[in-house]
Amino acid sequence: MASSVAQKRLFHEYKNLSTNPPEGITAGPVSEDDMFYWEALIQGPEETPFEGGVFAAELKFPRDYPLSPPTMKFIGGGVWHPNVYPNGTVCISILHPPGDDPNHYEHASERWSPIQSVEKILISVMSMLAEPNDESPANVEAAKMWRERRAEYEQKVRDEVKKGLGL
Amino acid sequence: MDQAFELPDSTDWLETPLSLLAPFESSLRCQVCKDFFNNPVITSCSHTFCSLCIRRCLSAEGKCPACRSSDQELKLRRNWAVQELVDAFQLARPSVLNLARSENARLARGEEEIEKPAQKKRKIKQAEEKELQVPETDSQGRRTRSGRSINSSAEERIVPHIMPEVIEDSQDDEEYMPEDGLVACPICFRKMKEEAVFPHLSIHQQEEEAPVKPPTKPASFGSLKGPSQRGPALPNKQPERLPAINYSILKDNSLRKKLRDLGIPDWGQKQLLQRRHTEWMNLWNANCDSKYPKSKRILLQELEVWERTQGGHAVTPSAFSTSSNVMRKDFDANEWSNNHDDDFKRLIANARKKSEAQVRSTIPGASPSSSEQREPQPQHPARIPANGARIEFNPDTDANHVVDLSG
Repeated sequence: MASSVAQKRLFHEYKNLSTNPPEGITAGPVSEDDMFYWEALIQGPEETPFEGGVFAAELKFPRDYPLSPPTMKFIGGGVWHPNVYPNGTVCISILHPPGDDPNHYEHASERWSPIQSVEKILISVMSMLAEPNDESPANVEAAKMWRERRAEYEQKVRDEVKKGLGL
Repeated sequence: MDQAFELPDSTDWLETPLSLLAPFESSLRCQVCKDFFNNPVITSCSHTFCSLCIRRCLSAEGKCPACRSSDQELKLRRNWAVQELVDAFQLARPSVLNLARSENARLARGEEEIEKPAQKKRKIKQAEEKELQVPETDSQGRRTRSGRSINSSAEERIVPHIMPEVIEDSQDDEEYMPEDGLVACPICFRKMKEEAVFPHLSIHQQEEEAPVKPPTKPASFGSLKGPSQRGPALPNKQPERLPAINYSILKDNSLRKKLRDLGIPDWGQKQLLQRRHTEWMNLWNANCDSKYPKSKRILLQELEVWERTQGGHAVTPSAFSTSSNVMRKDFDANEWSNNHDDDFKRLIANARKKSEAQVRSTIPGASPSSSEQREPQPQHPARIPANGARIEFNPDTDANHVVDLSG
């Protein structure tokens, strides 16, 4: 079979995630014909303004995965968060390869390495939703609001969550 | 591709009464490929990976994926003990998993637990007694033989203790059962009278001393003595390792010739040639770590798979699929700058308008502080935080390339 290392490893991760999923997380390839394109659903963490929301994201894997990390992007919009670009792209240290630290704030140990996994990424994203890192604001407006007008930020997040659920 | 769920995986244990074997199996798997360790090697920071996996990581990044300390291929050492653990576990896995699953099914059917286990126990006991008799008399009778025979008789004595736990009533592993008084050679599994085993074993010993092709059934009993006996004998028949090449000092054509000399495809641009050579070197050298090296023909097929999935025949050019490639050792700066020429020009023009000095600020000493180096970002004037803190840099935007180019 001409399956590459990347495909086989993604099979393993897929199987692992479907038999033993972490709480609040679902993920898998959109079609088993293309293991390099996944969709994930993440529940908003409890006791945060994101609680009750379900956020869909796409994960795109490079051909040399797991040497290089995937990219992750929330789809459908509505994630108002300091570490999520307005277009939905997630900016979090685990998705950055170790050589690549333009801001000099990330510890190498937090960044991507071939022993990380989709599961760890999604768990990190969940905790990122709960605890934004305003040292690397991907969405500067959201970061400013989170820092200076927390109540307004939380209200906006709650509104977006409701909108996302069609309420 | 729907064999996803047929891939054996540590999660197979989770739904059985033996769920604690899941972490055990995980620890026998490489963290990079998630497969069982294949030719495991240990790094100088004491982490174990498949030879091929760690070689690929090191040639991409030069760091251990587990702890990120710098390491070199040359420092990798084979980890025989782990290989034997994996071989032994893989051998036992199907029967243990079957047993665990049938136990699960039995529990699900809600059968009484009193009757069957008792039956089983009796059966196992019988088997144990039957087996124990054989080697025990043997080892006593021949204790004065060479160390080798004592070794093997010890192995045989271990067997009966292990086997009954693994055996399922109907699925006994026939190899170890003395049917009609014959026993199997622990190395080649040929059946013979028990008296004949030890003389027969010395044949295998001779075979090992004179290098011949590996036995068809590798791991199992024979591997118990693998490290001490096979280890030192290996270098003689090992293919020679390929040295790393400093690609930057090679012209396209001399690199092409090197690939031709190695017998691998030599088409494509220099960057592809480099990547192909690196992959070949990794495949080849990982194969050198194997107890039973594959033939070059098989390695060439593996290179062909690489070519289709990541190399010149890959659907998407992987070199530019992620921004991270900018950081790779084999990153082709020329091709990148050709592809992004327009972007660069536009950005440079924008930046010049703002400030001549700032564009050159990546030259050491040209700007007084490093925080100022971060300032010239023509694209994101609105993103400067109110408190004037450090600007965030997005590796995906072109802003970064300004710095790359002038640096």
